[in-house]
Amino acid sequence: MAYQLADFPFLTTLLLCCIAGLLAILATPAKHTQAIKIVSAVFSGLTLVISIYLFIAYDQQAGGYQFVERVAWIPALGIAYFNGVDGFALPMLLLTGIVFFTAVLTCWEMELRVKEFFALVFLLVTGVFGLFMSLDLFFIFVWFDVSLFPMYLLIAIWGSTRKEYGAMKLTLYLLAGSALILPAIVYLVVHSGAMTFDLLVLMEGDRFTPAQQRIAFFLLYIGFGILAGVFPFHTWSPVGHVAAPTAVSMIHAGVLMKIGAFGILRVGIFLCPEGWQYWAPLMAVLATCGIVYGTFVGLNQTDLKYVIGYSSVAHMGIVGLGLSTMTIDGLNGAVFQMFAHGIMTALFFSSVGYIYDRTHTKAIAELGGLSRIMPRATTFFILAALTGIGVPCLASFWGELVVFMSCVRVYPVAGALAIGALAVGALFMLRVVQKTCYGPPLKKFAGLKDITAALAVPRIILASVIVLLGLFPGLLFDMINTATMQLIGLR
Amino acid sequence: MQPATPLPNSLIVTAAALLLPLLAFGVIMLATRSRHRLSAAISIGAAGLSLLAAVYLLVQHWQMQAPLIFQAVWMVSGQMTIPIGILLDPISLSMFAVVAAISFLVQVYSLGYMAGDPGFGCYYGCMSLFAWAMLTLTVSSSLLQIYIFWELVGLASYLLIGFWFDKFSASEAGKKAFVMTRTGDVAFLLGLVLLWLQLGTLDIPVLTNPATVGAQLSPGMITLTALLIFGGIVGKSAQFPLLTWLPDAMEGPTPVSALLHSATMVAAGVYLFSRLFGFFSLSPTAMAVCLTIGTISMLLASTMAMVARDIKQVWAYSTISQLGFMLMGLGAGSLFAGAFHLITHAGFKALLFLCADVFIHHCGTNDMFEIGRQGGRRLKSAVVCTIIGAGALSGLPPLSGFFSKEMILGHLLDSGHPVAFLAAAVGAFLTTYYSFRLIFIILFPRDSGDAPPPESHDGHHHAGSEWPMTTVLWCLAGVTVVLGFFQTPLHDFLARAGTGFQAATPAHHSWLPVAACLLAAVAILQAWFEYGRKKARQIGWVEQIPFLADLFGQRWYLDRLYRYLLDTLVYRGVSRLFTANDRRVIDGALDGLGRSTIGLGRVIDWVHGGMIQYRLMIMVAAVIGLILFIGWGG
Amino acid sequence: MIVPLNHILLLSGLLFSLGMFCTLARRNLIMMLLGIEIMLNAAAVAFVGASLHWQQMEGQAIVIFILAVAATEVTIGLAAILVVYRRTDSVDPDMDAALWEKGGSR
Repeated sequence: MAYQLADFPFLTTLLLCCIAGLLAILATPAKHTQAIKIVSAVFSGLTLVISIYLFIAYDQQAGGYQFVERVAWIPALGIAYFNGVDGFALPMLLLTGIVFFTAVLTCWEMELRVKEFFALVFLLVTGVFGLFMSLDLFFIFVWFDVSLFPMYLLIAIWGSTRKEYGAMKLTLYLLAGSALILPAIVYLVVHSGAMTFDLLVLMEGDRFTPAQQRIAFFLLYIGFGILAGVFPFHTWSPVGHVAAPTAVSMIHAGVLMKIGAFGILRVGIFLCPEGWQYWAPLMAVLATCGIVYGTFVGLNQTDLKYVIGYSSVAHMGIVGLGLSTMTIDGLNGAVFQMFAHGIMTALFFSSVGYIYDRTHTKAIAELGGLSRIMPRATTFFILAALTGIGVPCLASFWGELVVFMSCVRVYPVAGALAIGALAVGALFMLRVVQKTCYGPPLKKFAGLKDITAALAVPRIILASVIVLLGLFPGLLFDMINTATMQLIGLR
Repeated sequence: MQPATPLPNSLIVTAAALLLPLLAFGVIMLATRSRHRLSAAISIGAAGLSLLAAVYLLVQHWQMQAPLIFQAVWMVSGQMTIPIGILLDPISLSMFAVVAAISFLVQVYSLGYMAGDPGFGCYYGCMSLFAWAMLTLTVSSSLLQIYIFWELVGLASYLLIGFWFDKFSASEAGKKAFVMTRTGDVAFLLGLVLLWLQLGTLDIPVLTNPATVGAQLSPGMITLTALLIFGGIVGKSAQFPLLTWLPDAMEGPTPVSALLHSATMVAAGVYLFSRLFGFFSLSPTAMAVCLTIGTISMLLASTMAMVARDIKQVWAYSTISQLGFMLMGLGAGSLFAGAFHLITHAGFKALLFLCADVFIHHCGTNDMFEIGRQGGRRLKSAVVCTIIGAGALSGLPPLSGFFSKEMILGHLLDSGHPVAFLAAAVGAFLTTYYSFRLIFIILFPRDSGDAPPPESHDGHHHAGSEWPMTTVLWCLAGVTVVLGFFQTPLHDFLARAGTGFQAATPAHHSWLPVAACLLAAVAILQAWFEYGRKKARQIGWVEQIPFLADLFGQRWYLDRLYRYLLDTLVYRGVSRLFTANDRRVIDGALDGLGRSTIGLGRVIDWVHGGMIQYRLMIMVAAVIGLILFIGWGG
Repeated sequence: MIVPLNHILLLSGLLFSLGMFCTLARRNLIMMLLGIEIMLNAAAVAFVGASLHWQQMEGQAIVIFILAVAATEVTIGLAAILVVYRRTDSVDPDMDAALWEKGGSR
């Protein structure tokens, strides 16, 4: 596929911003916590600005890969530092930028080992940015692992409820995933007939026989699917979310789970279209199971963060369902839903984080009447819940609608079940809202303060993105559409 | 879809009328929430301008020949284009006017009602949200757009029912309303998607065009999609079997009940049916189902209303039964009868609710016996207005309900549905009976006679200025009295919508109005006999049969059934099963894997640990064995 | 060469067996260490004998090497035994993890 090298290496600049932030944090003495926070906010803000710029500057008419940079690294093995973005990657970069920036602002009140915390978060996000922009299989794998390792420490040190267990479970699960991805990548490279890790070269022509594609796609689907919370491999996600501190939950559910879905798309679907076709029914079944299952299990949870964890499982099921339809609309909807769910769940976790910081409990039974005590904070929570239900004119609705529309065409039963789960989903979210926000204000929470303007900033950013995309979904759909048309048009 | 004869003026006016409430909602929620008077002014201003726009549009297009369509692209994805647009035709225009008028009046009324409530600004914000969603719904140009705003209306309803969320019952009712309507909407969405897959478009003019739909869809598919879409109508209009959310929704502020849960939002279901009348009439099965569901709901709700003591509940049941009545009219094939009853009902039911509110406001109770005892009859204008409204509801001659009810009855008879006609007659009888039961209970209290009205009001109500409330009551009463005489012009106007009017000939049974009036008179007499006259014990005939009283009072045990099903099937059944599966099977397997790894480590650890000399001995033995092996082998 | 190679190898084998027995059977870490030393020396004797027999100097060089290794081994071994003794008050080779943890204060 043709591409033009960029005049200015914006993508590398984006990565360098993260690394520079990391170094700046390391250079700041640990006792100046305020300075560390400011440095983090500045550098994460810079990444957000660059990702917004990239999103705007991308030429949608031309399509394809833009802002491409390529430096050969190990020519003998065909490994190159090769970055470029298309209509799939840009929304993800933007999502990462937004969630990263807001997550940093969300933990403005944090006191414990601030320096190490922010340093690890920066390392994590470097991996995420790198993965989304990389076009080289080797680098994709490396970035994947870079983004996993800080997670363990972030949860095990700064977490809460059963943090060691959660951290260990998450790490083992995700490493198991990466243990499936590496063989798949090596298998593909070995059988490609060209010693290269270059994604675009590997895509050209029919390099892989259908049988090879089936094997590779299955490994990639399960490997990345674990990270995307695909049905039987989802249990790390609620546990991990519960254990993780607020900012990490935001990044984790908001961005890391998207890496899984993005990996299935970028590596699996791009390289093994026939494997995709072969396994699509399985994907649809698992995704539908995830939607129905996540919704029903969420009904019975007693911990606020568990509820959101299971809602993530259900929502990522919708993404999986979209990917399994093999249609333009399905892919569009899936990528849109990835973005929308990232923003929504970040808002969810940040408002739950605020509630937890103030009330020191996440048990639904102990909460109640918060809307009278902290109306502004709960407004964000309710908005996130309504987005999760799929109320129109809020971002998630469009993703779900488009996915359902394409799914009913391809898999009528799965589509009907997924639509049916909407009603239970409403019950599931509204139950939580009712139990935590409504009811008479409790005496023990009477003295709590509502959210301050400074802390409201990240939530306002997330909320306005939700509403903006809800009213003007075209902003994102047009972008995704360029990439989908190209992908589906290829065959 | 080509925009037909662009008339920019009308479109700009409509768009402005739609966007103003949205703007008001945004401004109130973001900026002026804490400044009560300003918020109210913004919201009422927006609603007022919308009303002016509606009146302007009505006047402008009274003689319209072709519907006016404007569409823009909202979103494109692959081959899928989702449009947003405005469709102005007689049906949407009349509904637009009704919604705008009642929103405006109720918002003005709320000035008095909500005065002093801490959530005053928020209340007006939600009202604006509702006005925006509902107005946009009425002029939507595609079915998908209707669905979108249909959901938003449901959201506004959820927020407003649970407005006093301190009360458990209020938040519970809001949740119930949302989830039950959502259940219907699942079917709606499914039907809509199926329809889209078959037709490739959801534009209403295409859908209601029998030629295109008939050519592209098999009859079975038409029936299937029509029934699925009807599921959404059942949910939204609180018809059987999803009718139990509406009585609970009375937990919200009364003006909200008047606006959303009687006049406009619940009528959206019936509106959708009349909107898609051309489509539904292609499937006889769907029409029959509609007629049946309408009949069942009407009878069920009427019986429930006969034993209710809560004044708002009575009107809520009556709303369900009247909506069922409209669906009967539509299901029998008369678009005009249904639509006309929808319009008249919106007026008099809003009136009845607002009157009920005046009683509740002054007596501090919802119980009509208590209201009577507290001297409810001293509230002259409320009593007179209630009588006017109840008269219209019962179909007494000069009032608006009389005309629309006769239309439906006549049509049921004409179209050859004798059973439905009989059921409708029984329903009309019961309606009159329970309406006048309520009036007599309030007018002729037993026990403590004319106690002075208490000074203290209940928690939410504070004495606001009275004039907005009274003015609004008289406005609505005036409309109720007058509207019936506009039957013919309205018919001519609506007939221009085209489809479905060939059948809508006004009834020509001269005996019918007389018979209906006689029926109503008998019902009133019976109510008088049981509740009004001096010696009456104020115990109805239903209440003397414990079994029936219990059955009706418990809403035919529908609520219990749903609760039971929800608890056993959803919470204790599937949900618990899945949770157990998650804990035991999936997590259990994983933890088991972890534990067995550790166990294996222990075993290997034991081999490596312990007395070192045993290991040495084994090593020596191994070496000796090796030597022997090599020695002999070599 | 007066002493035949066979005798030297026999001596070496005897020494090795003695050392092995000492290492395997004695329930004292120091004696085990001594046993190891004896085995090393048995090997050294065999090396010297072989070196004489074939008239090559590498065998002798290796012996020097073995001596050096044995010296370091004894040093480290004794130090380790001393630590064990301090921690557990015993030089019994049959020590299990529990004993270590009881006496240990990592």
